[in-house]
Parts: sequence; structure tokens; C-alpha cells
Amino acid sequence: MSTVIKSQTDVAKVRSAQPNPRRDLSDKAIRNIFIFPTLVLLIAINVFPLVYSLYLSFTNYSAIANKQPVWVGFENFGRVLSDERMWEIFSTTGQYVLFSVALQLILGFALAMLVRDKFFGSGLVTTLILVPMMLSPVVVGLFWKLMYNPTFGYVNYLLGFSNPSLAPDWLASRWAGDPTPGLALWAVIIVDVWMWTPFVMLLILSGLKAIPDYLYEAAAIDRASAWFQFWRITLPQVTPLMMIAILFRTIEAFNKSFDLVMGMTGGGPGTQTEVVAVTLYKQAFQGQWQTGRASALAYMVLIIIIAISNLYIRNLNRMKEGA
Amino acid sequence: MATIKLRQVEKRFGEFQAVKPMDLTIDSGEFVVFLGPSGCGKTTTLRMISGLESVSTGDIFLDNRKVTWLRPSDRDIAFVFQFFALYPHMTARQNIAFPLQAEGESKDEIDRRIKEVVDLLQIGHLLNFRPGKLSGGDKQRVALARALVRRPAAFLMDEPLGALDADFRESMRAEIKRLHLDLKATTVYVTHDQIEAMAMSDRIVVMSNAEVQQVGTPAQVYYDPANLFVARFIGSPGMNLITSQYGDGVVRLPGSNRYAVAPDWRMALGEGLDSDDVIMGFRPEAAHIKPDGTLVGEVYASELYGAYTMLHVELEGNEIIHIRSDRQMRYPIGSKVRFDLDPEMVRFFNPKTEMAIN
Repeated sequence: MSTVIKSQTDVAKVRSAQPNPRRDLSDKAIRNIFIFPTLVLLIAINVFPLVYSLYLSFTNYSAIANKQPVWVGFENFGRVLSDERMWEIFSTTGQYVLFSVALQLILGFALAMLVRDKFFGSGLVTTLILVPMMLSPVVVGLFWKLMYNPTFGYVNYLLGFSNPSLAPDWLASRWAGDPTPGLALWAVIIVDVWMWTPFVMLLILSGLKAIPDYLYEAAAIDRASAWFQFWRITLPQVTPLMMIAILFRTIEAFNKSFDLVMGMTGGGPGTQTEVVAVTLYKQAFQGQWQTGRASALAYMVLIIIIAISNLYIRNLNRMKEGA
Repeated sequence: MATIKLRQVEKRFGEFQAVKPMDLTIDSGEFVVFLGPSGCGKTTTLRMISGLESVSTGDIFLDNRKVTWLRPSDRDIAFVFQFFALYPHMTARQNIAFPLQAEGESKDEIDRRIKEVVDLLQIGHLLNFRPGKLSGGDKQRVALARALVRRPAAFLMDEPLGALDADFRESMRAEIKRLHLDLKATTVYVTHDQIEAMAMSDRIVVMSNAEVQQVGTPAQVYYDPANLFVARFIGSPGMNLITSQYGDGVVRLPGSNRYAVAPDWRMALGEGLDSDDVIMGFRPEAAHIKPDGTLVGEVYASELYGAYTMLHVELEGNEIIHIRSDRQMRYPIGSKVRFDLDPEMVRFFNPKTEMAIN
């Protein structure tokens, strides 16, 4: 106990004639009482599994086998890296992340520009645009599965296909019965874009609204055209928030795409939509329950995400330095 | 360089009349200051000239070209903002280059023109910094450079020194004045600081309550205020204004003080007044303290301003006036002082219309 705190309790004692036991608690003690439960929970459900799974990634442990984990060194990592299927899966994941984040960015920006200025009903329109983001991904996945259905789905109906045998079967990657690789992946990407464009729009909208009017006034005086203003003022001014949107969406597209893909295709047909999150799930909880190997894969995904995030954040900081 | 003409220009925001219909002609190369308390409509007027604000009624002409409904970019004017309005994500150099790039000038031309203004304003050492790293004065220099680099027909400045520290303000004031003398560019400058207005302008437009109160040279505005508002607003302290009675060539101040009006004023007073009531006005420096002075008062307070002493003198009838006196003289509080007024510097106002009589 420091002397400062002692003198504080002294003051407290002087103030109240009847000594109150609660007043004898130091600020530090109160702080610790508040922090303790959170700390315990955090260690139990976050830190411990993180460390334990790191350990498991070096063992041959399987969660359903009644055997103690045996240390196998880097064998799991070696097997993940030498698995040819793994490259295919990472390439699928890469395409998924790249296309869905890029589309969300473009559409999100366009929507943000659209609802940036107040017009009659703009509040309602903004709220409606945000609805997809508030739904559960699994529910969204199941709804879209129905909508993509080649016989009674709305998607083909709206696209004008009346004969189901000539229409695309989106989630099966078939067009009029012919295998069309990539169709299922695009179907999933479209849903991801539908669901998460509002999020990107929201971030960019807050960036747009933060641009002070006087910059546009100065630009008008400086005789900049609308196009010139967009490229030289609007875009650079919202870039930091755009980077944050990209960062969030990249991380999420990498590992949280799981619910959406699982709900719609389960990774199929074949492995056409099998993103790494789905592979992880399959390895950990289906078939052989290869807990050790799944942990190794999870750690590799973690390292990739940390690396990408670092690149983004470094870029972001460099941009902020100037502002 | 351009002339600027306002014809019955008015601005309304809904019910609120921000600028009452006003007429004004600004000559080519003139430096005109809009002076007034905050909320008097001076900035709105400036923004209407620039096109950043639309006009409710009336017309604006630049060089006899009607620009009332043109966009700011089509008016060939530059605007210097109170808070600089520099582009925060660009370096000073990029900021200055912006208007040239927007017009699609060639790189060589841009380099040449930037070098010109940079030499003129001596800001070469600032070019590679972003606005966030610059001091207020340097920001305003860069903003000026950005305005100058385009060689516009007219400069509009909205309290460009308002956001600067007091000591900076004085030197920037001189810089802007020098620039104006060098370039001979038509300049409209908005401020609420009368010292700025007096020091810089060719003509001052005094505004209050959305209305032009007086247009005149600094000397006219100071010595011959058109109405009571201008008399009070210009000068610190403002003009001494004493509500009195007039009759037979004599102004009867409250109490026993009497002031004999110079003969050439009598006619004007006879015509300008509709009753005996008159407001007599004179600047603090128009009163001269001397032992045989005809007016008398009691020293209420005394403030040494350095170069001179400002006496607060209480006249009979509790009227307190300001008299500027020699700094060496000491007047104990409560002592009687006698003074005379310089007849050249006494003004009269009609208390009902609040207008000057002349």
C-alpha cells in the first residue's frame, strides 16, 4: 500500500465518524474486484483454448479417440502444406475473399454516395439497406438456398428463366444441365456481397459525412469539376475508413464465411465452394476428427490473417501520419 | 482586374432576412472591407459574391458580366477562408497546385506559376509539409498562395486573420496589404476587427442588422459617421454621444453644461431636427483639457494606455464620456476637469432617426 492511499483512507476516516468497512477498500482493490471475473472468463474461454490448440497442433490428438495426445512435432504442418487439396482450397478462399471484398467495396461506396445527401425518405432507405447485415448468416444462407432453387427459386424467375431444365442450377454449378465450374462460388459470393455491402456502406458513409463542407467549397472556388473533386478530395478523405472496411471484411471473409457457405452448399458441389473455414470444420468435426491437424491448419490461417492485417494497418498508419 | 457590382442583392433564409437589399459598386483594384459585428450579414454577402451562397433577389455583376446564377467556378474569383480550408491530405505544394491541376495546366506551367507565388509570399520552406504540420500564419500564407496562383479577377477574404494569434495578425495584415499594393487586385475583405478595417481598406462598408450602415473611406467612417450605430461601433472607445437639447445656437447638455454651436452648423441643425432633442457626438481626442474650458466634469476613472491617458469623465446628469489626454498629466479621481471641444470634430444626430445631421 502506498502512502497516498493510506492518507486517502485517513481522510475517509476523518470524514465519517462511524468507520465504514467499504470505505477501507482501496481504489486498487476495487479495480481488481471489477477486473477479476472478466479475467477469469477470458482465460478460460479464450486464452486457454488458444494456447492449448497450439499445443494440440503439434500432437496427433483426436477429440473422439480415447487416447492421450502424442507429440509429433511439425508433422501436422508438413501434412497440411504438402496436401495438394489444400492449395486448391486456399485458391478458392482467395477468390472468394478477393471478389466479395472488391464488390462490396464498389457497391458499398456507390450506395454511400447515394444516401450521403438527405432526400425525402433517405433515413428509411438507409435503414432498409442495412437489414441484410442484421440477419443471421445461417438464415441468410438458407433463404438464398431457396431463392437459388432451379425449380421454384426467385432468382431464376426474376432472371426470366421459365424452363428449369434450361436454367442455371446455381448451387450445383450447372447451367442447363452442363457443369459450369465457378457458378456455385459466384452464387455464394453474391450472397456475401448482398449481406455485407451494407456494412461497408455504413463505414464509408461515416467517412463521407466526416468530410467538412469547406473542402468542397474550396474546391468549387478552385474550379475543380465534380469528377476532379471526387478523385482528389472525396476518395483520399475516405481512404482510411475504406481501409478499415477492407480489413474487417477480409478477416471475416476468411474465416466467418463459414456459416454462409455451410448453410448454402456445405462446400460443394465437390469442393468447388470449400473455403478454408469449411475445411477446418470438416477436419475437426467430421470424419476422422483430426483435432491436431485442424489446429495446425487453424494456426496457419491465423498467421495469414495477422500478416494481411499488419500490411493493412501499416498502410493505414502511413496514411494517417500525413493528415 | 475586375469591378464588382451588387444591385439590390438580398438574402433570405426562410423567414429570416440575412442581408437586406443592398447596392454597392466596388472599383477595379479597390480594397473594400465589410465591417460589422458577428451575424450582421457581411460574410453572407461575401459568399453571395463568390457564388457559394445563392442570391434571394437582386443581381451581381463582375466586370459588367451578370454572374448572379453562375457557379463559383465560373466567376473567376478566389476565396480565402477564415479557417484556411486547406486540403488536409495534400502537401502545401499540392494545395497550391490544386486549382492549376483542376484547370488542366501543363506541368511546366504549374511549376512556373507555383515558383512565382512561392517567391512572392516567401513560403518555399513550407512546400513539403501538410497543413497539419503548419502554424496558423503559415497555413494562411499557403491558402493565400493557393488563391493567388490562379490570378483571379478578384479576391474575396472571409476573416482571413480571425483564426490567428494577435501578434501574427499584425504582421499578416501588413503582408496582405503589401500584396494588394503589388498586385492591384480587387479585394473584398470581411472582418469584425475595426483596426484591420481602418488599416487595410480603401473603403469600409459598415454593416449591422443585415443592413449597410455606411460606405466610406476609413476617415469618413471615423470622423463623419452616418448614424449612431457607426458612431458607437467605430473607434475604441466609440464616439461620445450625449443626449441634449438644442435651441438658439446653444446645445444644453444635461445639467449646467452649455455648448455654443459654430455658426455654420446652425442652419443644418435647424433643418435636421424635428424637436429640441439632439444627440451631440465627439471623439475622445476632440476634447482638450484646459483650465478655462467651458465644459466641466469630474474624473471618474483614468486609464494609462501608454501613449496617452484615457479619462472617464462624469458630466452632470451622470453622463460618462471619454477624453483622451496627455500621458504626463495626472488627474486624481474625483477632481474637476474643464475642457473645450474642437468645433471641427463635433457632430450632431437626430435622436429619432438616429441619422447624422450635416
